[in-house]
Amino acid sequence: MNKELYDLAAWSIKTAKSSGADESRVHINNQRLVEISYRNRKPENIKEASTRGLSIEVYVNGRYSAQSTSDLRKNAVKEFISKAVSTTKLLAEDPYRTLPDPKYYKGRSEKDLGLVDPDYKNFNPESRHKMVKDIEEACLERGGDKVISVTAEEQDSHVEEILMASNGFEGYTEATVYVAVASMTAKGEGDRRPSDYSYFVCTDKKEMPKPELIGTEAAERTLDLLGAKKIKTEELPIILENRQVPRLFGGFLAAMYGSSIQQKRSFLSDKKGEKIGSKYLTLLDDPFIKGGLGSQLYDRDGFAAKKRDMIKAGVLKEFYVDWYYSRKLDWEPTTGSPSNLVIPPGKRSVKEIMEDLRRGILITGFIGGNSNSTTGDTSIGIIGQLFENGRPVQAVSEMNIAGNHLKFWHGLVEAANDPWIYSSYRTPSLVFKDVVVSGL
Amino acid sequence: MNKVSRRSFIKTTAAAAAFTAATPLLSKGWYGLARADTPGYFEREFSVTDSLCSKVLAKALSKGGDFADLFFEHTISNWIILEDGKVNRAYSDVSLGIGIRTVKGDQVGYGFTQELSEKPMLNAAATAATIANSEPKEISGKFVSLETENYYPLKTLLTSIPLESKLPLVQSVNDKAFALSPLVVKVNASFHDQQKRILVVTSEGIKAEDLQPRNYLNASVTAEKNGRRERAGWNLGGRKDFSFYSKSVVDEVAKEAVERAVVLFDAVQPPAGEIPVVLGPGVTGVLLHEAIGHGMEADFNRKKVSTYCTMIGKKVAEPVVTILDDGTVPNLPGSINFDDEATPGQKTVLVDKGILSSYMHDKISARYYKVKPTGNGRRESYQHYVQPRMRNTYMLAGPSSSEDVIKEAGNGIYVRDVSNGQVKIGEGDFAFYVSQGLMIENGKLTAPIKDINIMGNGPKMLKNITMVANDFEMAKGGGGACGKGGQAVPVGFGQPTCLVKSLTVGGLKG
Repeated sequence: MNKELYDLAAWSIKTAKSSGADESRVHINNQRLVEISYRNRKPENIKEASTRGLSIEVYVNGRYSAQSTSDLRKNAVKEFISKAVSTTKLLAEDPYRTLPDPKYYKGRSEKDLGLVDPDYKNFNPESRHKMVKDIEEACLERGGDKVISVTAEEQDSHVEEILMASNGFEGYTEATVYVAVASMTAKGEGDRRPSDYSYFVCTDKKEMPKPELIGTEAAERTLDLLGAKKIKTEELPIILENRQVPRLFGGFLAAMYGSSIQQKRSFLSDKKGEKIGSKYLTLLDDPFIKGGLGSQLYDRDGFAAKKRDMIKAGVLKEFYVDWYYSRKLDWEPTTGSPSNLVIPPGKRSVKEIMEDLRRGILITGFIGGNSNSTTGDTSIGIIGQLFENGRPVQAVSEMNIAGNHLKFWHGLVEAANDPWIYSSYRTPSLVFKDVVVSGL
Repeated sequence: MNKVSRRSFIKTTAAAAAFTAATPLLSKGWYGLARADTPGYFEREFSVTDSLCSKVLAKALSKGGDFADLFFEHTISNWIILEDGKVNRAYSDVSLGIGIRTVKGDQVGYGFTQELSEKPMLNAAATAATIANSEPKEISGKFVSLETENYYPLKTLLTSIPLESKLPLVQSVNDKAFALSPLVVKVNASFHDQQKRILVVTSEGIKAEDLQPRNYLNASVTAEKNGRRERAGWNLGGRKDFSFYSKSVVDEVAKEAVERAVVLFDAVQPPAGEIPVVLGPGVTGVLLHEAIGHGMEADFNRKKVSTYCTMIGKKVAEPVVTILDDGTVPNLPGSINFDDEATPGQKTVLVDKGILSSYMHDKISARYYKVKPTGNGRRESYQHYVQPRMRNTYMLAGPSSSEDVIKEAGNGIYVRDVSNGQVKIGEGDFAFYVSQGLMIENGKLTAPIKDINIMGNGPKMLKNITMVANDFEMAKGGGGACGKGGQAVPVGFGQPTCLVKSLTVGGLKG
């Protein structure tokens, strides 16, 4: 526990009380970050800084507001909290706004989530520059004479957060985060300059792939896009690459929040207990994965974290309902937002599945698009590979898939064996049948 | 636009302050700065003197480099939110800090701190300095204040307007929306205002201080009919004075949001595939922003990663097409008196009668291309690097009537509103999401359409703009923001009705 942060949080709660707040909840974060990028074998950008921020939610006479500031001069914070309280008094009453019942704070796990890399302090400027240079070099080498531009980058940070509420909640989280990125632009046909990237995030540097792999992967993904074109509109099986699943599934997830349901903008509001996808669709919310990017012992309300079945064999089991919307809906709360989302992997590799399907499209990127959480309608541009006889034969671009989430996930026929661990969405590649892919 | 010096701006705001003071019923409880705006804000409030700036700049150039700059920021943002019929939620954010940049060729060293005192600033400057490794560079230590046009004069600071004056706006949007249609079941309304104070100090001896307001009134409406629900929204705003938010603005926000939600019950799916697309006037200018604008940002071109990097001086469109990026249009979200490198706000012609005439430059790219910066060097906050960014991007009006453009399309779709545009710079491929539109059948507008994606290729689409109408409009919303490199900045866009003879429509039917 960082005592300075703890003292500031406790002082803020005391100050809110003396300014007239009935209750308050304070969140303070403290971060040290470094970013280094290379291009043309020399540093392009170097950035380093420390940041702090304080946010406070105040509850006054049945009224509520939330305020945040990066101006942490003590007098400024005092004036800031005093004004927050007086602002709140001017708003309309909201009987549903209270701090949570402390019974939900209880039962907090004491597991070590492994969010802090003990070797972080040894990650010095020389190690950082070497890592980025090695990523760039690998990308340049694999890209060969097709390279127009390569950028390699690393970011790392050490983050501390305190959450404290006036009705007894106290929580402290500490984490390290490493990000490595390589991006390449290649010489294509005519004026086309295809580009793609590799992107990895983890809390422990030992989990980060070798720089050579990061750079090589970016080059290979880019080279795979050479000669991309639009093909004719047709109904085909698609394989959605593991790391692309969150973009599509995000449209589904948006309808799983208590706020969406209470505000009548969820196509799932009356679907709890019903089949909303095929038997291959199972979704777990697991806050206890060691080193997981979404791992946590408590949520933003201070609720003790629990592992949850959100969707089981296609049946919708739970929603994300925080304390406030649980009171508005008169439902039992769960948790306000996802921790680590896990779709269990299947048995076959993407390569085996392609060989079995013979012909279809492997989606390796999305562009534009959106999803309507009220109706479930979605439409999104795709980038990827047409495969025939089980092998990629043509890069595709300027194409699109569309549908409604309530129908779309019934088309899920298999999960591959390749869960992506560099995200809080730990999802494998997913296979769908009979999707209209529009092009020519 | 009249040239407004900092001094005349004081008079305007002093008068406004007097008005506020003479209104005793209005509380000052809302978080804001209830004081006259005067030059030297950062010196007065945070003791940022010229000599301190000199010392920090000298540190930033202590290992050499071409130039350095300091970007001070103090931003106050407020939101008031209505849900379930009551304005019962408010958020505020205060962002304070300084970003220090050292530039050597195309290399950038960057440090920032939230403490505006000497020691942390010198530490951040030392970080920035690490990008260079030669002899220290001397700076003069004298700074000349930049005088610019004022493209967003205010009668009073929005953060000085008491909360009680803002609450009725949001409540009225809600009440009006429910009154307009029995199908309305939920209304979410909000008012956002932001006051961003910046001070840019450069090693070249320029000091530029600005106050950038931004605000908008927003409504999102959910309607229900025969068990089906649809939702749509609308907002109006920009860099406006509070006097903009009249009854007619409230009425328009509510009316547009309700009409746009209710019409969706009749929406049909268009056929998928390549078809003619007519872009309606105003907000569809986001297509220009995505398909053309990003590719003309100079950083992508100096790195040779944009599909437009070999096209300067070449024909990229029919002569009827002229496209500008403009920071000087009064009160638009993307307007800036000067950019975040202290280059004065200006108008840049990107495509002149079909010929690609200029990229959008920051100082780094301008040095590379040996041209003057175009005032496009922008950043989200003191925590971010400068990048070439769009301001307000638009296409000028053409000679045709909108009716003739629709007739020429024959069978296709008419796009009325779009969101979520994205482009792949190197390929020029883009996509945008049609939230509102109509079918075009036999040259006439027929059934509504919604929730489809449109795909295309920027250079190809530019060549495929075959008709441009005479009904130019700028988008009227204030909430538009563009994302690039993890940074969001406010932008505007606009255009007249135009015909693109072929784009890929992502519908369900083949």
